[in-house]
Amino acid sequence: MVGKTESQNGAVKATAAPAMNLESDLFSNFSFKSFKLKTKQQELLLRVSILGLVYILAFITRLFSVLRYESMIHEFDPYFNYRTTLFLTEKGFYEFWNWFDSESWYPLGRIIGGTLYPGLMVTAAFIYWTLRFLRFAVHIREVCVLTAPFFASNTTVVAYFFGKEIWDSGAGLVAAAFIAICPGYISRSVAGSYDNEGVAIFALLLTFYLFVKAVNTGSLAWALASAFGYFYMVSAWGGYVFIINLIPLYVLVLLITGRYSMRLYVAYNCMYVLGMLLAMQIRFVGFQHVQSGEHMAAMGVFFLMQVFYFLDWVKYMLSDTKLFQAFLRITVTSAIAVGALALGVGTASGYISPWTGRFYSLLDPTYAKDNIPIIASVSEHQPTAWSSFMFDFHILLFLFPAGLYFCFKKLSDATIFIVMYGLTSMYFAGVMVRLILVATPAVCLISAIAVSATIKNLTSLLRTKSKTAVAGSSKGTGGSKASSKASFDQSQPFQKNGAIALLLGAFYLLSKYATHCTWVTSEAYSSPSIVLAARGAHGNRVIFDDYREAYFWLRQNTPPDAKVMSWWDYGYQITAMGNRTVIVDNNTWNNTHIATVGRAMSSYEDEAYEIMRSLDVDYVLVVFGGVTGYSSDDINKFLWMVRIGGGVFPVIKEPDYLVNGDYRVDKGAAPKMLNCLMYKLSYYRFGELVTEYGKPPG
Amino acid sequence: MAISPKMNHLILYFAAIMTLLVSLSTSDSNSDLVSELLNLQSQSEAGVIHLNDQLVSRFLTSTKTPRSYSILIFFDAHQLHNKPELHLQELRNEFSLVASSFIANNVDNPSSRGKLFFCYLEFKESQSSFALFAVNSLPHIRLVGPDAKSLKDDSVQMEQGDFARMAESMADFVQSRTKLTVGPIQRPPLLSKKQIGLIVVVILIWIPFMAKKIFAGETLLHDRKIWLLGSVFVYFFSVSGAMHNIIRKMPMFLADRNDPNKLVFFYQGSGMQLGAEGFAVGFLYTIVGLLLALMTHGLVRVKSVSIQRWVMIVSLLISFWAVNKVIYLDNWKTGYGVHGFWPSSWN
Repeated sequence: MVGKTESQNGAVKATAAPAMNLESDLFSNFSFKSFKLKTKQQELLLRVSILGLVYILAFITRLFSVLRYESMIHEFDPYFNYRTTLFLTEKGFYEFWNWFDSESWYPLGRIIGGTLYPGLMVTAAFIYWTLRFLRFAVHIREVCVLTAPFFASNTTVVAYFFGKEIWDSGAGLVAAAFIAICPGYISRSVAGSYDNEGVAIFALLLTFYLFVKAVNTGSLAWALASAFGYFYMVSAWGGYVFIINLIPLYVLVLLITGRYSMRLYVAYNCMYVLGMLLAMQIRFVGFQHVQSGEHMAAMGVFFLMQVFYFLDWVKYMLSDTKLFQAFLRITVTSAIAVGALALGVGTASGYISPWTGRFYSLLDPTYAKDNIPIIASVSEHQPTAWSSFMFDFHILLFLFPAGLYFCFKKLSDATIFIVMYGLTSMYFAGVMVRLILVATPAVCLISAIAVSATIKNLTSLLRTKSKTAVAGSSKGTGGSKASSKASFDQSQPFQKNGAIALLLGAFYLLSKYATHCTWVTSEAYSSPSIVLAARGAHGNRVIFDDYREAYFWLRQNTPPDAKVMSWWDYGYQITAMGNRTVIVDNNTWNNTHIATVGRAMSSYEDEAYEIMRSLDVDYVLVVFGGVTGYSSDDINKFLWMVRIGGGVFPVIKEPDYLVNGDYRVDKGAAPKMLNCLMYKLSYYRFGELVTEYGKPPG
Repeated sequence: MAISPKMNHLILYFAAIMTLLVSLSTSDSNSDLVSELLNLQSQSEAGVIHLNDQLVSRFLTSTKTPRSYSILIFFDAHQLHNKPELHLQELRNEFSLVASSFIANNVDNPSSRGKLFFCYLEFKESQSSFALFAVNSLPHIRLVGPDAKSLKDDSVQMEQGDFARMAESMADFVQSRTKLTVGPIQRPPLLSKKQIGLIVVVILIWIPFMAKKIFAGETLLHDRKIWLLGSVFVYFFSVSGAMHNIIRKMPMFLADRNDPNKLVFFYQGSGMQLGAEGFAVGFLYTIVGLLLALMTHGLVRVKSVSIQRWVMIVSLLISFWAVNKVIYLDNWKTGYGVHGFWPSSWN
C-alpha cells in the first residue's frame, strides 16, 4: 500500500515540476502587485521550492526496492563494496588501505587497497561517521543502501546549475526534474544498488559543470574546484577515463573552430595539472596519467595549449604578419612532429602502455567480441538495441534532436560542450548497454533545453495575447521572443489555439514520461536480483530467497577455511554473505584463473577432480534454475565458461558442446555436454526429487 | 559474369581432353595423377579444382587404394547461393582461402603439396557424384582420405562445428585428419596495393588545397550546418541501434519461417533487433525532434499565415503518429504494458 502512494506522488510531482517552472514566469508577471514580495524574490522562492521537491522526488522514487523487498544490498558488485565498507568502518582507513584479502582469488589473494576505487566506500563511511557523530544510531547497511539515492538527489541539484549555466534557469529546473526520474539513471541508483556508478554520475556531472563554469568565467577558483571534482570522480569509478578524454577533445574542438581564449587556457591547464596530480594519489590509478595510452590525448592537448599560448605571444610581439604566418607553420608542424615522435618512442620503449581491451572495444566495437570473451560475456556489455534506448530515455529521445538544434542556434562554449558530451556518450551508449548511464545526464540536459525553450516560447506567446486582449495595447511585456513578434496580425485566435494545442501536446508527453519512468522504476529496476519475485498461479507474489539461503547454508555448515569454487559471478556474494574463501570473483583481473575454473566446469568429472584438487577446492557451488524456471542460471551461462576456458586452454572447444550449432541440454545434447561437471552437478538426481532440490552438492 | 562460366567450361573440356589423352598414353600410376591434379590446381582459381563426374571417377573411384593424396571436396550448388541462411558463398570463399593458404604455405614443400587437394563439385553438372557421396543437404564438406574405398562410408564429413569459425576451423579439421600443416590463413588485405596507392595520391593532391583553406579559416569545420548535420547523424546512428547491428552482424530483415515469401522486419523480444527495424525507429525519433525544432525556429519566420497553419497541423499530426507508433512498437517488442499507478478508488 505504501508503495502505491509513493509512486502516486512521484508521477504527480514529475509532471508538476516542468509545469510549475513556466508558471513561475506567469505567476510573477500577474501577481506582483498583490504580493509584497518582489518579482525576483518570488521567482527565487518558486525555484527553490521546485528544486526542493525535485530533490525529494529523486530520493523517494528510488525507494521502491526497499518497499517491495527489504533494505538490502542488490546484485553482485555491491556486495564487495559493502564488505569493504564494513571493513573500513570497523578497522579504520589505514587498515583498509593496506588490506590484503586472502579470502578471494585463492590461492593468489587480492590486494584490495591497491585494486579498487575507494571513493564510494570512503563516502559511505564518512556519512556513517557523521551520522554517528550526530548521535543517529544507524547500521552501516542502511547507509550503504541509501547512498545511491542520496547522491542521485544531489545530482539533480548539479543538473539544475549545469542547465542554468548552459541555457537558463528554466532549462536547469526541467533538467533537474528529468534527471530525477530518468530510468537510465535510476537503473544504477535505486536504494540498495550500492555501486560505484551511484556516486560517480554525481561526480561526473559535477566535474563537467565546474569545468564549463571555469571556461565561461576563466576563474582559477572554478578550475580548482573542477580539479577536485575530477579527483573525486577518479576515486570513485573507472569511468573517469571518459572525462579525461572528453575534456581534451572539447578543448581541441574549440581550438580548431577558432574559439581559443585565455579563459580556456586557464581552465584547462589548472584542471589538467592539478587533476592529474590529485588523481595520482589513488593507488589503483597511480602513474597511469603519464604512462597509459588512454590518457595521452589529455597530455597532447595540454602541450598544444602551450603552443597556442606561445604563438599568441609571438603574434603580439611580431608586427609583420607574413613573418608570423611562416613562423606559425613551422611551429605547428614541428610541435605535431615532436608530439608524434614522443608518442611513438614512448610506446615503442614500453613506457607508454597501449590501450586496454575495454577502451579499445569502445572505439572498435567488434574488437571485444572476437578477442576478449570475458568482456563480451558480461550482459551489460552487450550492444544496445533501440528498445533499450526507448526503455531508458522514453520521450527524451524525441526531444534530443530538437535540443541539438537549439544548441546549434545559440552556439557558445557551454553549448558546444554539452553537444559534444551528448554525442560522444550517445555513441558509447550504442556500443554498450551500461554506458546509457553516462549518456543520461547529457540527454536530460539537451532535452531539457528543447522543452524549456519551446514552452517558454509558447507561454510568452499566450501571455502576449491575453495581455493585448485585456489591455488593448500591442506592447507585450515579455514578448521578446521571435515567435511572438511575427504574429501580430489578424491571426491572433489561431495563434493562440495553436500554442495551446502545442502546450497540451507537450504536457501530454511529459506526463507520459512521468508515468513511464515510475512504472519502469517500480517494475523493472527495483528488483535486487538476489531475491527473486514471481507471480504465482493465483496472482500472489512468490519470493525466492534461495541465494541467501544457500550462502547461509555455506556459512553454517562448512568449515571456516573451506574453499568454494563457483563461476565468478557469485564470488563476491559468497565472500560477503557466506564468509568463505572463493577461487574467482567478479573482479575479473586474472583471466587464466577464471579460465581454469571454466575448464574444470566443462571437463569430465575425473579431469575436473584433478583440477579442483590442484586448487584445494572443498565445495563447488552451481546455480540451477531448472526447478523454479530461473533463466540466468549456470547452465545458461555455461557456454561462456566454455568460451573463456577455451580461450586459454585449447583443449576445450566450443563445438564439442553444441549439436549442429545449437545449444541444448536435453537428451539430444552433445555427449561432452552431458558428461561435463557442470551438467552433472546441475542435473544431479534431477529425475528423483524435485521438491527438495536447491542445495549445492559438495 | 557471362564469360566466366564459359571460360570455366572451356578449361574443363580442355582438362578433360588432356586427362583422356594422358590416361590413354600412360598408365594410371599415382604420381601421374598427382601431377595431373597439380596441373589442374595451377589452372584453377585460388587452387580449388572444379571436379565433375568424370574427374571424380578418374581421381577417386577408379583408383586403387591407398592413394597418395587426400581430397577435400566442397559441395556447392549455384541455385542455392541466394539463400542467405545457408552461407554457401561465404563458406566457399573461406574454403578457397584455406586452399590458397595451404598452397602458399607449402610452396617449398612439394611432397606435402601433392598430398592434399581442394576441390568443389557443382550440383547441377555432377548430380551422380552427389549421389555417390550421398550428399543431400548443404553446406557439406567432405574429406576423402587415401584409404577411402567407398566414397559414402569411408570419407569423413566436416562437422558443422568445424566450419563454424570459418577458415581457421576448417584448417584445424584438415590438420587433425590429414596430419598436414595448413599454416596461417592468409587473408587478402582489405585494400589492394593499387587502391592504397590511389588513396595516397588523392590525399597528397588534396593536402595543399586543404591547407590553404584551413589558413584562410573557411573550411567545413567552420560551417555550423555541417556540424549540426553531423551531430544529428551521430544521434540517429546511436539510437537506431546501428552499433548493435554492426557488432552482431544482424541482417536487415529475415524471411518468415512459416511463409518464406513473407519478410519479417520487426523482431519481437528485447535485446535483439533487425537492421531495418532500428533504422525505421531511429528515423521516427529524428523526425519528431526536427519537426519540433522547425516549428519553433523555422516556421515563425514564414510570412504567410495559411502556410504556417498547414505546416503546423501536418507536423503535429506526424509527430503524434510517430510517437504513438514508437510507443506501440516498444510495448509490442518488449511485451511490457506501461501503466500509471493511480489510486484504486479512481477505477
